[in-house]
Amino acid sequence: MTEKDLKVGIGDMKFTRGGGQIITYALGSCIGITMYDPFLKLGGLLHIMLPARADPNDPKIFKYADSGLREMIRKMTAFGMLKSRTVVKIAGGAKMFEIRGNADFGNIGQRNATMVKKILMEERMSIKAEDIGGSYARTMLLDVGNGDVIIRTAGRPEKHL
Amino acid sequence: MRLKSYEDMNLQELDVMKEISSIGTSHAATSLSKLLQKEIRISIPEVSILGYEETVERMGQMEELVAATLVQMSNEVNGLMLFVFKKDMMNAVLEKLIGKCYDSFEEIDELAYSALEEVGNIIICSYVNAFTQLVGVEIDLSVPSSTVNMLGGILTVPIAEYGYETDKLMYINAEFIMDGVRLSDGLLMLPDIKSLNSILEKLGVVS
Repeated sequence: MTEKDLKVGIGDMKFTRGGGQIITYALGSCIGITMYDPFLKLGGLLHIMLPARADPNDPKIFKYADSGLREMIRKMTAFGMLKSRTVVKIAGGAKMFEIRGNADFGNIGQRNATMVKKILMEERMSIKAEDIGGSYARTMLLDVGNGDVIIRTAGRPEKHL
Repeated sequence: MRLKSYEDMNLQELDVMKEISSIGTSHAATSLSKLLQKEIRISIPEVSILGYEETVERMGQMEELVAATLVQMSNEVNGLMLFVFKKDMMNAVLEKLIGKCYDSFEEIDELAYSALEEVGNIIICSYVNAFTQLVGVEIDLSVPSSTVNMLGGILTVPIAEYGYETDKLMYINAEFIMDGVRLSDGLLMLPDIKSLNSILEKLGVVS
């Protein structure tokens, strides 16, 4: 790990400029969202856990898709990000366990994905690539030098988004 | 509701959880011992209330492959029970049950998978029985569901399921000692917060 490698925990967001990597491990039903402005080489990664912040006083902004995405956009815009040239990629939203007779259980991944897409549409940002759903965990990595996004899963080859 | 989250439990209440876990662990050891035809000794379980990242750290690593069995509780207690197999535990069990060992979770076939799910289910039921007997509540269980996946991803399931209530997990860690080898038994015992309150109330724990 070099100095510029950043690790994003659950319900957190980090961004950096110029180079280095941002990584988040083992996204299950959570969703990782990367935003990359190639002109500035400005990249960020957000790891959300739930769709909506129900309590407006909840300080954990990055835990939720709605408040997390808005805050991410606000912060990165303050550093010069332009929505129109920003590349957005998303991954995660898996259903890890299937309980027979209870189809609703573990649907949180799907609900997260729906909310992330809804907010991005409201913000007029299109999704360039996605790796969503399935029943397996993913590690997501953004290379801030070139905007490349790598998805790592157990037992499958690495995937570039 | 008096308790808003697992971390609100005081020492006395945590002791109650520890007592339930001790009984659950000994039930689990008895069932496992019958199944494997082996003498199994246990250590006193530790009960810890931990955040997501701390739980992953205690159990292993984020991207480490593990097998896990999940059962959903309903009726008088609602919640989840999640049992995690690490490699040593998996092989100790599979060697006795199907006469095979595996180098990694990636190699697991259908037979081994079913055997693990069965053992996971038996262990979970032992803990649930401790609840029903000690607390005097009725608990219905779902059919078990299992997966082989990254530890970090598996633990997002309970943390997201109760994400609107709490950011903590209740982690039970005991040791099964079989043929002189210590196998760690990792279980997440997660009654929802409402059920946790009623369990403590029924047991007459007043602080």
